[in-house]
Amino acid sequence: MSEFRKLTFAYLGLLGLLVLTVGSSFFPLGGLNSVLNLVIAGGKAGIIALLFMQLAADGVLPRLAAATAALWLAILFGLTLIGQ
Amino acid sequence: MSASNESVAFDTPARERRADAFAMWIFVGSEAMLFGAILLVFFMARISYGAAFAAASQRLSLPLGTLNTVVLITSSFAMPLAHLYASAGRWRAALWSLAATVLLGLGFLGIKTAEYTMEFREGIAPVLGAPFTYDGPDRVHAEFFFGLYFAMTSLHALHLIGGIVVIAGMLMLWTRANEASRLRRVHAIGLYWHFVDIVWVFLFPVLYLINR
Amino acid sequence: MSTEALSPPGYLSEGAGPAAWLLTTDHKRIAWLYLASLTAFFFLGGAFAVLMRVELATPSGDLVSDDSYNRLFSLHGIIMIWFFLVPSIPATLGNFLLPLMVGARDLAFPRLNLASWYVFMLGSMFALFSVLAGGVDTGWTFYTPLSTLYANGFVSMAALGVFIVGFSTIMTGINFIVTVHTLRAPGLTWFRLPIFVWTMYATALVMVLATPVLAASLILIVLERVFGIGIFNPALGGDPLLFQHLFWFYSHPAVYIMILPGMGVVSEVLPCFSRRPLFGYKAVALSSMAIAVFGFLVWGHHMFVSGQSAYAGVLFSFLSFCVAIPSAIKVFNWSLTLRKGEISFETPMLYALFFLALFTFGGLAGLFLAALAIDVHVHDTYFVVAHFHYIMVGGMVTAYMAGLHFWWPKLTGRLYSETWGRIAATVTFLGFNLTFFPQFVLGYLGMPRRYHTYPPEFQFWHVLSSAGAVVLAIGYLMPLLYLGWSMFRGARAPANPWGATGLEWQTASPPPPHNFETTPKVSRPAYDYPMKGLRHEKFSPHKEEAR
Repeated sequence: MSEFRKLTFAYLGLLGLLVLTVGSSFFPLGGLNSVLNLVIAGGKAGIIALLFMQLAADGVLPRLAAATAALWLAILFGLTLIGQ
Repeated sequence: MSASNESVAFDTPARERRADAFAMWIFVGSEAMLFGAILLVFFMARISYGAAFAAASQRLSLPLGTLNTVVLITSSFAMPLAHLYASAGRWRAALWSLAATVLLGLGFLGIKTAEYTMEFREGIAPVLGAPFTYDGPDRVHAEFFFGLYFAMTSLHALHLIGGIVVIAGMLMLWTRANEASRLRRVHAIGLYWHFVDIVWVFLFPVLYLINR
Repeated sequence: MSTEALSPPGYLSEGAGPAAWLLTTDHKRIAWLYLASLTAFFFLGGAFAVLMRVELATPSGDLVSDDSYNRLFSLHGIIMIWFFLVPSIPATLGNFLLPLMVGARDLAFPRLNLASWYVFMLGSMFALFSVLAGGVDTGWTFYTPLSTLYANGFVSMAALGVFIVGFSTIMTGINFIVTVHTLRAPGLTWFRLPIFVWTMYATALVMVLATPVLAASLILIVLERVFGIGIFNPALGGDPLLFQHLFWFYSHPAVYIMILPGMGVVSEVLPCFSRRPLFGYKAVALSSMAIAVFGFLVWGHHMFVSGQSAYAGVLFSFLSFCVAIPSAIKVFNWSLTLRKGEISFETPMLYALFFLALFTFGGLAGLFLAALAIDVHVHDTYFVVAHFHYIMVGGMVTAYMAGLHFWWPKLTGRLYSETWGRIAATVTFLGFNLTFFPQFVLGYLGMPRRYHTYPPEFQFWHVLSSAGAVVLAIGYLMPLLYLGWSMFRGARAPANPWGATGLEWQTASPPPPHNFETTPKVSRPAYDYPMKGLRHEKFSPHKEEAR
């Protein structure tokens, strides 16, 4: 698939997920709304990272940096929540 | 040692490019910790005052917020296009794509300014001593929500402005830079721009879509 | 022929005048820029400390007012931590040595390096402005809601200064990480790297992951003060304790930013002056990484009495005991390095041995503090103050002095006076212990920290401590004199005066602008003492006549 097509699909995918996240907020699903929104946001972030930022290319170092940041955010959130 | 290296330390441009990308990702990672910390503050408050936050969130303009998200996502589409064209040596197309990115970024800021103005007029902007005239339930915690909303979105906007300034600077120095430099710079600023987009992708549902 | 008239060869004589220094991208010159700034800040922070100790020599608050005393200890902490300790070894010795030790021509991003110094100076301007305008009284910890709602003083100015300096740290951290990953010479695998490089890498990791969270917490303070956005305001539903979580998420790992480089220096000096390879190289390397990682998991031990949940207290206490383990591993390995060695007591070695003793002692005190029940008793007393000064001053500053003296010949191409070096080291050791050991006693007896008036029964210990401070100050002023003197009149140093291993010693003292004539190739392990098979005679400054 040409690079241009890949980028276009990514763009359309992002717009689609946006529709999903806004649309689903009109259905009262209780706590599930927030979870769904975060999952969709994570999906969008994944598309941006993998397809726009080319996280999977160019060696292991970028992925190492991204994974480390993700892990450290988990530590920040996790231990603070325990502390409260 | 090739003349297209910008750093004297590297032996080949390829190694320098990889080092550039790695450095940018580390920077992105550190910025993620910055926004993560502020999101944590919001998250803790949301857990404590869910109802007040949900009611307050309804007062934000969902149409404008959604429009802004579309604008930013589109700018995030224009950015890798610029990189694609630059790698192929299609410099004019790259230039146009960069210009589009900047314009869309400015568009986002314009919409945001409109939103802020609306919010000040409605009296739901507890910033700089402006009167806060919210009439919904749990006024105190709603004020907290709006305070956090302004803090988080203005921090994001500052980062966006930074990105716009850098791209604008790049465009001004475009003719003086050689091709390898241009490619490196487009790649680097692209990574930063996408990160700012990712932050918004999280901010939008977290602020605008609380239990509508 | 007098050689003092000739300027030293190498990078020092490559271009003279302000522009050549202020616009340099040579990591070695940038290290000097930092050295100048940091030395100035060290003595400024030290001046505040001396004022505090003079005040504390008598039980009544007669030298300064309550408010002034609050500002003194706050500024002492802010300056010493952010404007001296955090950048100290990384920005001076790290900047100078990292490319040399990996066999590179410079750091990965030389212009980013210069930019980091300018960002540091910009932050310094904010901080100095805050100091000159009257300072802050919140403590270096900026706790809310005092800092956001009630403090008078230049809190925003100081916070912005620290915020800006934080970015300098992040820039340095990125440069170091990328350099170690991408610029190692052929044959220089990870496990052949000097431990100093490992600790610089670990430090850099902590820098880029922790500093942004500090930045966030400071921004939120400024937003609250300047823009009126109530984030930590209890009246609005904000949680002041959350500030502490964010602040300590950075500030605990920050202490590892401060100590890891010192551990790196000591790991270079001890093998050299015992002529033995470092014992347990892999354990020392991996435990440095472990300290960096585990250091992020213990921040709640600063908050045992703050109102966080009891479960959190137990968890953080347990994790704090765990984090002592990698440090202990290093202490054992360093001690075993000395075993059966041919030990000589040059100035760097004296400082390194003092580090070993003082760091261990301070670290043991940390274990006491990690125990919940003891901490409840000694929290916010001089026990804590003594603990962290044993680590920060007895450990880190001592290691900084060790490194400065060890690599002085490399930095300047000159030898300092060994006699004066040893005298100064001994004076600081005696002065340090006299200053800070009484503080353990004071704290246990109940003397609170940040107070300048106290019951008369504490005076004896305070007088000892203040006397010690004078001796310590003398010990720190002495190197200013003899090191400064050596820059102009010292004997010329050969490439490897100590007979040390490491790529930095394989090039001239001082090195040429691009470090090496040809890119080195590495095939030997890191600490190849006693360097069998390499004909080398250990140079002794005493035997060589001063030219």
